[in-house]
Amino acid sequence: MPSYELALVLRQMARPELVSTLKRTAESILDKGGIIRKIENMGQQNLPYKISVHGQVHKVGNMFTIEFDSAPTQIDDLAEEYSRDIDIIRKNIFKVEQPPEIKCTLHEELLPPAYRKEVQEMVRIGQKKQKKKFNYNSGLDYYPFQK
Amino acid sequence: MSFRIISSLIQKGPIRILARTESTAAITPTIANSAQSDEPIDITNPFEKDRAQCILCRSNITPNYKNVKLLSQFQSPYTGRIYGRHITGLCKAKQEQVEKEIIKAQNCALMPTYHKSVEFLQDPKLFDPERPIRPHKY
Ligand SMILES: [Zn+2]
Repeated sequence: MPSYELALVLRQMARPELVSTLKRTAESILDKGGIIRKIENMGQQNLPYKISVHGQVHKVGNMFTIEFDSAPTQIDDLAEEYSRDIDIIRKNIFKVEQPPEIKCTLHEELLPPAYRKEVQEMVRIGQKKQKKKFNYNSGLDYYPFQK
Repeated sequence: MSFRIISSLIQKGPIRILARTESTAAITPTIANSAQSDEPIDITNPFEKDRAQCILCRSNITPNYKNVKLLSQFQSPYTGRIYGRHITGLCKAKQEQVEKEIIKAQNCALMPTYHKSVEFLQDPKLFDPERPIRPHKY
């Protein structure tokens, strides 16, 4: 089962309601055979932009993240279920992956254009696209009159 | 006139020769030790510059969408647009990661899209948008 991360924005509400909503969202993961690894509370925040959902305009939200493992076939169902929940303003499910090993290529990118690999490739393609020109004083290859 | 010039040459001549013999005497033993003939010596290029690295690679940071304070440093305070690679000075891979994570954060309502969060406006600048590495497109 791959790991996922659910970023939740819940509506502004009283604490007991908030708890029940969070419980509901967590339980729906468990019902679908998932495992919850971590729940993080990022507190109540002013939203950076107003969001209108379920016929209401929200300017404040409670941020949560839930890390869980689940079968990939269940993710769509989960998202659909959360989209129907009135207390959830926004939900995003991201797949958690090991960050790829990156070797810094800045040095190569800062070289003068003629030394950069992508520029060399571009020049090569450009030369390929050029039409063959007939050389008039050469030994034919091939324009024996009538155009 | 011509006689005078010649005499002056003769006067200068021996002094110059003396100077040359002295300098060659000082250098020749070291060269003779390092290489027998006139062949070029095999050494690494002494003028080669150090390998440049971007800020994120240097401190080994992988950007995450929850790290809003870091991500907002790559955002314009005026328009909320993500600065390009010619301004941020990041390598291609890191720039792509940063852009992805910023968009993720914006979708999760953690980051504004049309401006920079007010609490991060005083943050130290990582780069100067007015002095890009390559000229602006506009
Ligand atoms: Zn880099």
